[in-house]
Parts: sequence; C-alpha cells; structure tokens
Amino acid sequence: MEKVKVAILGSGNIGTDLLIKILRSEYLECSLFIGRNLSSRGMSKAVSLGVKVSDQGIDAIVKDPKCCEIVFDCTSAMSHEKHAPIFKELGIVAIDLTPAKLGPFCIPAINLEDTIGEMNVNMITCGGQASIPLAWVIGQTQKNVEYVEVVSTISSKSAGPATRLNLDEYIETTEKGVQMYSGCPKTKAILNLNPAEPCIDMQTTVYAKVPKPDMKALHKGVEEMIAKIRRYVPSYDLVVPPTYENDRIIMTIRVRGLGDFLPTYAGNLDIINCAAIAVAEEFAKSLAAQRG
Amino acid sequence: MKNVIISDATLRDGSHAIAHQLTKENIAEYAKAADKAGIPIVEVGHGNGLGASSVQVGLSLLSDVEMLETARENLTRSKLGIHVIPGFATVRKDLEVAFKLGVDVVRVASHCTEADVTERHISATREHGKEAYGVLMMSHMASKEVLLDEGLKMQSYGAEALIIMDSAGAYLPDDVEDRISHLVANLNIPVGFHAHNNLGMGIANSLTALKAGAQLLDGAARGFGAGAGNAQLEVLVAVLEKMGYHTGIELYPLLDAADLVEKKIMKVVPSISSSSLVSGLAGVFSAFSKHVAAAAKEYGVDPRDIFFELGRRRVVGGQEDKIVEVAMELRDGKVRGAHAE
Amino acid sequence: MQNKIAMLRSDCAEVLASQVERLAPLKNQLVYVTGGTGFVGTWLAEMVSYLNDDHGFGTRLILAARDLDAFRAKAPHLAARADLELVSQDVRYLRELPEGVNYLVHAAATPDNRQHASDPIGSMETITRGTANLLDAAMKLPDLKKILNLSSGQIYGRQRIDEARIPETRPGTLSCDSIMSVYPEAKRYAETLCCAYWSLYKIPVVTARPFAFMGPYQGLDKPWAINNFFRDALKDATIRIIGNGLPERSYLYPSDMAAWLLAILVDGTPGHAYNVGSPTGVTLGDLAEKIKRYAQSSSIIEIRRMNDDRSRFIPDDTQCRKTLGLQVTVGIDEALQRSVRWLKTIA
Repeated sequence: MEKVKVAILGSGNIGTDLLIKILRSEYLECSLFIGRNLSSRGMSKAVSLGVKVSDQGIDAIVKDPKCCEIVFDCTSAMSHEKHAPIFKELGIVAIDLTPAKLGPFCIPAINLEDTIGEMNVNMITCGGQASIPLAWVIGQTQKNVEYVEVVSTISSKSAGPATRLNLDEYIETTEKGVQMYSGCPKTKAILNLNPAEPCIDMQTTVYAKVPKPDMKALHKGVEEMIAKIRRYVPSYDLVVPPTYENDRIIMTIRVRGLGDFLPTYAGNLDIINCAAIAVAEEFAKSLAAQRG
Repeated sequence: MKNVIISDATLRDGSHAIAHQLTKENIAEYAKAADKAGIPIVEVGHGNGLGASSVQVGLSLLSDVEMLETARENLTRSKLGIHVIPGFATVRKDLEVAFKLGVDVVRVASHCTEADVTERHISATREHGKEAYGVLMMSHMASKEVLLDEGLKMQSYGAEALIIMDSAGAYLPDDVEDRISHLVANLNIPVGFHAHNNLGMGIANSLTALKAGAQLLDGAARGFGAGAGNAQLEVLVAVLEKMGYHTGIELYPLLDAADLVEKKIMKVVPSISSSSLVSGLAGVFSAFSKHVAAAAKEYGVDPRDIFFELGRRRVVGGQEDKIVEVAMELRDGKVRGAHAE
Repeated sequence: MQNKIAMLRSDCAEVLASQVERLAPLKNQLVYVTGGTGFVGTWLAEMVSYLNDDHGFGTRLILAARDLDAFRAKAPHLAARADLELVSQDVRYLRELPEGVNYLVHAAATPDNRQHASDPIGSMETITRGTANLLDAAMKLPDLKKILNLSSGQIYGRQRIDEARIPETRPGTLSCDSIMSVYPEAKRYAETLCCAYWSLYKIPVVTARPFAFMGPYQGLDKPWAINNFFRDALKDATIRIIGNGLPERSYLYPSDMAAWLLAILVDGTPGHAYNVGSPTGVTLGDLAEKIKRYAQSSSIIEIRRMNDDRSRFIPDDTQCRKTLGLQVTVGIDEALQRSVRWLKTIA
C-alpha cells in the first residue's frame, strides 16, 4: 500500500518526537517537517533523518497544499485557531495536538472509527489520553456512577513554560473529556508536578464513586482496554489494578515513553503522540480502502 | 516593639485533622471567636485549599462556597484568607468565585520547586485588588538557593509576601535559620513561616524564623492541623508577646477561641503520635497521615513502613494515590519496610 | 472612543509643537518597528499619525509583532490607517526586512517581569536572537538611515545610594546569576551586540534606555506599584504599600517618551546610549497620595513598613536635555491626572 503523506507543523519536542515515530509507520510518510528556525534542535534532527524541512510555518503548506493529506498541528492553541480554517479550505485533515478544542475529541481506544471523515480531530490532553479510557470503562461497566476523578502526576522536567501557564485549561479540558466519555456529570481532574531526580514516569490514578460496583465486569473491561491501548502505547501499565476500598474504586496506570526524541520519563507527551499517530493511520487505511 | 503578622490556619490546616468535615457551626463559632481576639488573618477551607475537595486528598463536608460564606458573615476585623494550589483550583472555576465571596488574602501555593505554576493565580488575585501571598510547600525538599529562585518568581508575579511551609514538620531550627535568613536577605517582600510539629519543633522553629527575619507566622489553635499539628497559636502568641513582639491579638479572647476548638471542633487534641514522628523523619507531607492510617489498616501493613517508603520516593503533596500503591507493594513484599529489621 | 482619540491627539500636538521641524528627516520615509504593537510602538504610531495628518509628513509605518489582534482591539483607529501596515512576525525568526525601510525601531521584548520569571529562556531568546536577526537583516537594507535599539534602564541594576540620578556612563551593578537578571542581562548583551555591528560594519545604531512611564495605553495588569495604586484608587480599595513608602521612582508621560524616541531616532549619535525617563523622583508614598487625590478616591493608604527599602531608580536626563534639546513637557502631576482621565475613559 502506498503511504499517505503527512506534514508536521511545529518543530519543538512534540513535533520532533512525532516525526521519529512516523518514520516507523507502515501507513504514513512525513513529506514535510515545518518549523520556524532551521538551526533548532528539532529541525537539525529532521535534516539528519533526511526529511524535507521548511522554516516557513503555515505558509509552507499554503504554498504547496498538495504536500500532504494530513497535518499534525503541534504549535499552540492560539496558532491552531489561525491554522484550522486554512487546513479546512485546503481540504487537509488536521490532527490537533494543541488544546484548541475546535474539532471533536478522539481517544483511539474508544472512538477511533467515529473520527474518520472529520476534517479536524482534537487529541484532548496528555492526561486525558491516559485517564479517559479507564473512565470510559467505568461508565460502560458500572451503573449509577456518581463521580469520577482523575489525578495525573508528571515529572517537572516534562512540563515546559506553556504547560505550566496553561494548567487551568489542562484541568478544564480533561474534566470535560472525562465527563463526555464516562457519562458521569460530576468529574474532577488534578495535576501534580513532581521534581524528583531521576525523573518519575507519568502516573495517572482514576477514582470513582459507585454505589454497587461490579468489580468483575470492571476488571474484564480494564484488561481489554489496556490491551487495546497497548497497540498504540506499548508501555501503558497497570500499577494498581481496579480495587474497591474505603468506599471508592481506585486504579493506577503508569506510562513510560518510548524514548524517541523525548526522554522516557515524558510518557505524558509520548501518549498523546502515539494516539495522534493511531488516528492518522486509521485515516490512511480508510483512504487506501476508498482508493482500492 | 516589632510587629508580627499572625495568620490563623485553624479552619484550614485543621480540616486535615478531621478529614475535611468542618461544619457551618464550627466555622461560624470559631471565626467569630478569632475575630473577637483580633487575629489578623483567618484562613478557611479544605486542608489543601480551594477546589481541592476530591477523593485523592479527601472530600469535604461543605462546599468552598458554604465555607467562605459562613466565614465571611462572621468576620469583621479579621481578614478572610484562603489557600489555593494551581493544579487543583483554576482561576475561572474557583478563584473568581472566592473573589466574589469577599476573600481578602489569597495564599497561592505550589510545591517548593514549582513556583511558575502560580503566575496566573497570583496575577488574577492582584488584578482583583486582593492581597496575594506566595506559598512554597514541602520546603525541606529544596535548598535555600532553589527556594530563593522560586521566591523571586513569586515576587515577580506580584506576591506581597512569601510563606515557607515546613509541610512535613521535618525542619530543625538550624534548617529554618539557614533558609529564612537567605530569603530575607534577598527578597523585597516579607517572609513568613508555617510550622508543623512532627518533631516537636513547631514553636521553636517559628521563633527561629522570626529571629532570622521572618515577619509573618502561621499557627493553629491547639495546634489543630495536619499530622502532629501546627505551631500552637495561643502558645505562639503568648510567647511572642512575652518576648516583646506585637501581634495585635488579645490574650483572653484568643484562649477562649482555642478552648472552643478543643471542646467543639477537634475530636482529639493533636499530639506527636508515633506515625507522625516517623512522617516528620521521613519528610512526608503531614496531610498524608489519615490516608496512610487508612491504607495501613486496609492492607495490613505498618504505617511507619509506608511513611519511610513514601519519603524514599520523594512523593510531594497531592500524590496521595501513591499511598495505596506503596501499601499494596509492602503487602505483596515487592518492597520491604526500611526499618523493619 | 472619539473622546479617547481626541485626548491622544492633543497629547501628540502638545509635545511635538516644538519638534516638528527637527523630525522633518522622517518625511516620506518608511519606519519599521519590531514589537510594534506594544506600548512604545502604539505611541510611535500615534505620533506618526499626527505628523502625517497635521503636518503632511507622508511617513509610512510598519508595525511588526506576534499578536496583531490585540492591537486592532486597543487601537482600531490606528489599525485602519492607510499609512500604517501591520505585519505578523516573531523577531526570533526574522530573516528579511522590506527593502525600502529607512528607519528601524527595535522594540520587541516585553518588560513584563512575570513572563521573564516563567519563561526565562524564551524571554532571553527574543532579545538575543531577535536583535541578532534584526541587525543581520538591516545590513542588507540599501536606504537604511538609522536603527534605534530599545534597551532598558534596568541594565544599570541597582542605583547607587550616593547618586541622585543614573547617568548613561554608569557601569551596571547587575549580578548575572539570578533569575531576576534574565531581562536586563539579555538587554546588556543586545546593546553590546549593537555596538559590535556598529564597530565592524558601521551600522548606524543608537540605543535608548527606557525607564518607567505612566499614561494612556499602559495596562494596569502588570504587578508594578503604580499600576496597583491606580487600580486600587479607582476602586476605592485600600492602597497597600509593603515597605515604608520611601523608595523613589520617576515616571515619564508617554507622549514625551515617544517624542524623545523619535528625536533620538533622527538626531541620536550612532554608538551612543540615551536614558529616556523623567529625572523628577517621587516617593511611592507621595505617589499613592497624588493618585488618590487625582482619582478623587476614598481609598485608605496603608504603609506597612515591612522592609526598609529606600532605593531610588531615576535616570539622569542630561544627555537628552543638553545634546538633543529635549525636555519633560508633562510633569508628574499632570501625567497622573491625565492617566486618571484615560483610565476612566476606557473603563
């Protein structure tokens, strides 16, 4: 099958890590890696990998709209708001890794198929990619879910100035995502930064208040979900299996990154990249099917 | 005579001690009593502050709105203070509500190395014309150089004071002297100290901070606070006055307020229990104590082993979920109690 | 809106009354301003608009910045002008400048100290790389007459206690190992870089070192003492001063600032640096009193005396006064009264 051409807009850590992952894909080919500064670390990495680069930002796509069918936007929410109408006009599918929330949310393990045909897909937040699948399982297997809470702890080093400044948006977006997928109107998201050295891996705990929990169904649902997620995030591990104690359900997962461009402790960033690629590959497969 | 500004954490840090189950009557009665005593700042809320009621750190009986409204109605002289941790509370969802309810002092807190998450909360507080303090929690986990760097950030954001919290009750007086004097010498804003009593140093460390140049001190009536409790407020005030400092607080009404807490609010008077002492030695967030006790019971392990293991993993405030994980690992023999043999 | 524009216009007319002739070299020239939508850029645009409308200067202005929408929102009357062009640009990635540029004003970099603390690396990069990019691009301009590099009064560090005002010749007292030095150290580097380009390539670059300003277009969001005083006074809330109220600062009204900057752009000697700020100090205590009075506020001023800071931060304006013939036309009292009027108009 012929690979589908994708462009990556944003040459920071996320974009560069995404590039390395895409180079391994059977379905995707990175035809253009776009940043602003040719001497940046991400750009020189791309050049060393033999990938075509541009430092023209969004203009690179405007000038050559045929360069790709899918674009990963790894810039910022503010920039994505400007980019989105351009992608739409050019007929390019946008996979949005910023918190701009313009398109429908996607968690590949839950609603990958639903996003096919959308022109703009939002990847929610890194914590959301880790916690929402478990919240969804709770919603699917339990009756009368009263409350769902997700707590993520990430290493301080993996949170740059933009993440820190946008903590409020992270929390509110994650809460909204948990609500949507669990079906429970009462949710809470918490984010901790931990400065320990060596850096800790991302860890996410999901709690739920359920009057009469069906733990058997929950265990089965969680096991299946983890198997599904592992297809695109290989190191998504259950640390505390679903447990009912002190009137609450608790379970904890840990995500280690693959260590491509981002260090392994940045599992929080790795998971959103893996999820974004899963979406793009699904698009690629459906395009291939359409074209016979 | 030198002035010291006393901030009363009874109705906030004390929440930890009763699993955040303060009632409206508790708040109304104590706020009235504190106000009568002329305590400058009365903090109210969930132990982890605004927007923190959660399964992770404990669900509170009352909502933030109920707590703040009740306190506001009963404070005339004293300022109403709140504690707020970015990552739990957002500006839009939580802080703006608190501004409307009439808080006066907003103490924006972060783990001691993460001050840059406080920029928006401090800015929003200043833009609303409220007093903003920066608070560095678990400060024993950072060197004085790091604390200064983080304090300078908070000062840049508009913090009008920097409060150093010994959240784990892990300091000895020399640690306090070393850090506070460095901060006082290099910051433009006044420095404050918040003690915990795990090693029995609550009052001693507060006085050391003062001698090192601190101008604000936190305390709680009868020491009503997380773990082994805080610096005991009435003792602190009495000692300060004896030493010739001016707090503006009247003794008899203060003692009445403390008696009220003991009779009406606290279930037991805080003491340095074995596990609190271990918590202080291990440098673990004091507010973990109730959660650790519950997990130790649930999984049949020694709470002291949980504390030492949490300390070894350098767990920070807000990471209460680690307690269950560690308790399970101890139960399953994946880790061994460090001091078991 | 009309009221606001009229206020700005009369401010411009007042300070430029004696300067129109000396600014004649700007006639029919193309002026490019980096960071052009900020406080300085917006005031330069007000000035140029006035010179074009009332004195037929025919000067064209390009304001380049990252966030143009904020400018369109705060100054729609400027954004709509035919003699003014807005260009979206991040100076960190600037490579080329329009060929016809005659004058360059380098005003990119925010003085917001919150941002310096939270994004120290990005803040330094904007200044260091941005200035290098600008100078490189400027080398290729065939008709370039002058570059005005905006540095900062902060490059001096703390003012000496025995000195009433800081002259341009004073070497700084900055320590380079503090998060607080991120902005001023980068600004020092940028000044030295300008000096290097001037020395090696004779690029005509002159430096201005702005101090503090107060007046229209100054947002009150930054946590600076004077902003808090205004904000609290206008709400009749308590005005809090942590220290003893004795530190002395000075504030220049922005129409004077803009007029001075244009004069330095035209007549400043390349290779030189000029302080831009008011030489008249005012203690924070007096400043709060004045603002309270002019805002007709019932605020209480609470001086807490929690530190013994008696610092001073006041520029020596001798160079601008003696060699460029500039002066302060709007004194502190008038500046504060006009600021109150402005803040009430936009509220």
